[in-house]
Amino acid sequence: MGAPGKKYMLKFDPRTELLFLVLANVVAFTQHSLWVEITWVVLLLLLIIACGCTKAAGRLALAFGICLFLQYGIFPIGPKILASSFTILVSYARRAFPCLIVGTLIIQKTSVKELMVALRECHIPQGLIIPLSVTIRYFPALKEEAGYIRDAMKLRDIHGIQKIEYLLVPVMISATTTAEELSAAAVTRGVENPAHKTSMVEMKFGVQDFLCLAFGVVFCFISVTAG
Amino acid sequence: MVEIQDVSFAYEKEQGTLSHIDLKIGQGECVLLCGESGCGKTTVTKLVNGLIPHFVVGGALTGRASVNGMEVADTEMYRLAEQVGSVFQNPKSQFFNIDSDSEITFGLENAGVAPEKIKERLEATVSALEIGPLLGRNIFSMSGGEKQSLAFASVYAMNPSVFVLDEPTANLDAEAIDILRRQIMQIKKEGRTVIVAEHRLYFLMDLIDRAVFLQDGKIIRIFSGDEFRGIPEQQRIRMGLRSFTDPVMELPCARPPGTKDGLSVENLSCAFDRQTVFEGISFSANPGEVLGIVGYNGAGKTTLTRCLCGLLKEEGGTIRLDGKALNRKQRNRACSLVMQDVNHQLFSDSVWDECEMSMPEGRAEEIEKILKAFDLLEFKERHPMALSGGQKQRLAVAAAILSGKRLMVFDEPTSGLDYRHMLGVGRMIRELAGQKCIVLVVSHDREFMEKACDRIFEMDGRRDGNG
Amino acid sequence: MSNSKNGKGLKGKDLITIGIFSAIYFVINFAFMLLGGIHPVLWMLMPGFIAVFAGIPFMLMAAKVQKPGAVFLMGLITALIYFVTGQFTLVILISMASACVLAEVIRSMAKYDSFKGNSTAYVIFSLGMTGSPLPIWLFKADFLAQITEQGMPADYVSAVEALSSNAMLVVLFVAPIIGGIIGAFIAKGLFKKHFVKAGIV
Repeated sequence: MGAPGKKYMLKFDPRTELLFLVLANVVAFTQHSLWVEITWVVLLLLLIIACGCTKAAGRLALAFGICLFLQYGIFPIGPKILASSFTILVSYARRAFPCLIVGTLIIQKTSVKELMVALRECHIPQGLIIPLSVTIRYFPALKEEAGYIRDAMKLRDIHGIQKIEYLLVPVMISATTTAEELSAAAVTRGVENPAHKTSMVEMKFGVQDFLCLAFGVVFCFISVTAG
Repeated sequence: MVEIQDVSFAYEKEQGTLSHIDLKIGQGECVLLCGESGCGKTTVTKLVNGLIPHFVVGGALTGRASVNGMEVADTEMYRLAEQVGSVFQNPKSQFFNIDSDSEITFGLENAGVAPEKIKERLEATVSALEIGPLLGRNIFSMSGGEKQSLAFASVYAMNPSVFVLDEPTANLDAEAIDILRRQIMQIKKEGRTVIVAEHRLYFLMDLIDRAVFLQDGKIIRIFSGDEFRGIPEQQRIRMGLRSFTDPVMELPCARPPGTKDGLSVENLSCAFDRQTVFEGISFSANPGEVLGIVGYNGAGKTTLTRCLCGLLKEEGGTIRLDGKALNRKQRNRACSLVMQDVNHQLFSDSVWDECEMSMPEGRAEEIEKILKAFDLLEFKERHPMALSGGQKQRLAVAAAILSGKRLMVFDEPTSGLDYRHMLGVGRMIRELAGQKCIVLVVSHDREFMEKACDRIFEMDGRRDGNG
Repeated sequence: MSNSKNGKGLKGKDLITIGIFSAIYFVINFAFMLLGGIHPVLWMLMPGFIAVFAGIPFMLMAAKVQKPGAVFLMGLITALIYFVTGQFTLVILISMASACVLAEVIRSMAKYDSFKGNSTAYVIFSLGMTGSPLPIWLFKADFLAQITEQGMPADYVSAVEALSSNAMLVVLFVAPIIGGIIGAFIAKGLFKKHFVKAGIV
């Protein structure tokens, strides 16, 4: 998140971001006109640039451009095999772009903690939030464990199909142990407390959130009726 | 006040039982639970923080335990959590969050404490435990010692009156143990009760008010602090306890590089994640000698072992075996490594198979001999993962020894081992050296190194900036 | 190690166990999603491939959390992570949700501790991912109309149509069923050889 005074960057409430994602989805699958599609993508890219995701926006813009080029420039004139195999994929990918753009914003600019608090404020039950946060927290640990196990396999000179077994089994066992230990550490710090959880992270809607959502709704409307 | 009245407990699936435990701990007391591996000290801690009976499934429990008037068996764990804070031995699996600030406030958030109060407690914790440098960081970027400090802080923030520490130093180096010691002193000063189950004793000796010595699940004797401190050396050894004093290591330095018989490391530099970990490392290790490698966390000991074993390519410098320079693949084949966490390197479905894997053309007698020496023969059909932590460690060492490689590297082979088994590993390592292997041991267990090593190589480079 | 049988609701330990195994499931799922991006046929077979390998975390979780909700959460978490990173559609949300609910029903009917019950639930669960390539058929008319409009030659359009034929639709649904059965048996083998002996189930 940008340091205040460093460079003015837009920051949205995570709930806005999630809602916006839904809207992006709606637009993506109801629009039919190419121009509506391109306008939406461009506007979204500008939005995330305003939030500070300049590099990612550049990469996404490039990817989108390539998709369009492939679909309108290459496939009609290229060999049929190329077209028939990939056109479905490329067309589908194009539709996913608005979602990908908003998704990138969320991944890059919102911490896991903020997302979890946002979900809690939306009255999503702890029964979902707890496993969800554990899942996300476990990804880097999983990567680490798999790395160590692969190292150990290199040292023991293990080949072929056995490699899969010898990777999967320790990973599973390590996961089970971690589940046991992490649960003990979480339960002895009251994770099962039915009281409403609080947080130091404050969630407040700002002007930019309302404007953004309004803009999204309007665009949805346009897309559904005119697109 | 913690009261345990005539408690007996037997696990459903795991090893270990408790028989007729009677213990009363007053508010503000610091009590040590000690004894050999499997004596039941960890199980006793679970009686206090409620893991028994709420968390452990099955098992037969008789007797009662209470904390500050609450019956443990009848109180919900989140209520117990308000009074009893627990720190466990594995720094890697205690944190729930990804960022450190959230981790410290985790317990307070669970309890529904008001945001202003959370902030207050956070600041109080940071100043009392002096953990400023830990704030605002990604936990995955922290060292083991920092993670353990964070776990302690996270528990402290909840302001419990009783602290339960279950082998908290098993994975820590001397510096981190020192930090833990100061944290314990702090909470003692604040009048909190401390119950510690531990193998490493030297840092606690002057802090404890009483020591409970357990064996086979029974309390053999409860010592007063002074009585415990006065136990003569011979008796301590008979009890199977680790050194009472901070072990001093007076060993000669490693040989200079260039040996024609053995391992020669010349001007080695390694990097990880595009950052230099160390450079200009040079030393020799001859067969028949055990070389210990020491250094604080971040100095690059583990990176060095990985490079020597061919898991990491060197950035600069040469590694020679018997005068011949070895590339990564060759080092891979010449080396055997016992890792810090042996759970990563046990693959078979039985102890016997695990050994056979290391030694495909091996004779059964050799495998039997080494399993016997390590107290593992009776478990030969057991699945490696069903063994206790110490047993797994010994199995990994046994498998490494059976592989018969020329260069044997051990990374923290004694973490969490009790006195007897620590000596056993030391003996085996000496025997290996006697068989003309080149043996390197990375460890922060100075008591062990004093007995097992002939020379020491000290890695003193700290990484620049944040580790 | 312990399994949860006491008390009907999901307790802290259950939720954390679900979270961890869902992470492993997600990684397997994602790996094959990426693979599916290489070629449409791979994409259509993707639910089948996933089913072969994901049986291990699924069955292990089913054995450790013998209560309702575990499978539903595993599916929901996967769907949510995909959704938040912008890679999901409404179609797959529906297919995953219905597969998970059906799987939970089967689990509860089989009383949570039978291999047959869990593997049947797993096969149904594996069908959930078919929602990913499904829009190709659901919106086929839409899509074909669009590319015809764009001026693609007729035989090109029919080539595309061939790939999204009814035959391929059948393949889409049959692959995860076969994959799921294989996956369940692989898991069973590993259970016998390792997990039960190691004492973690």
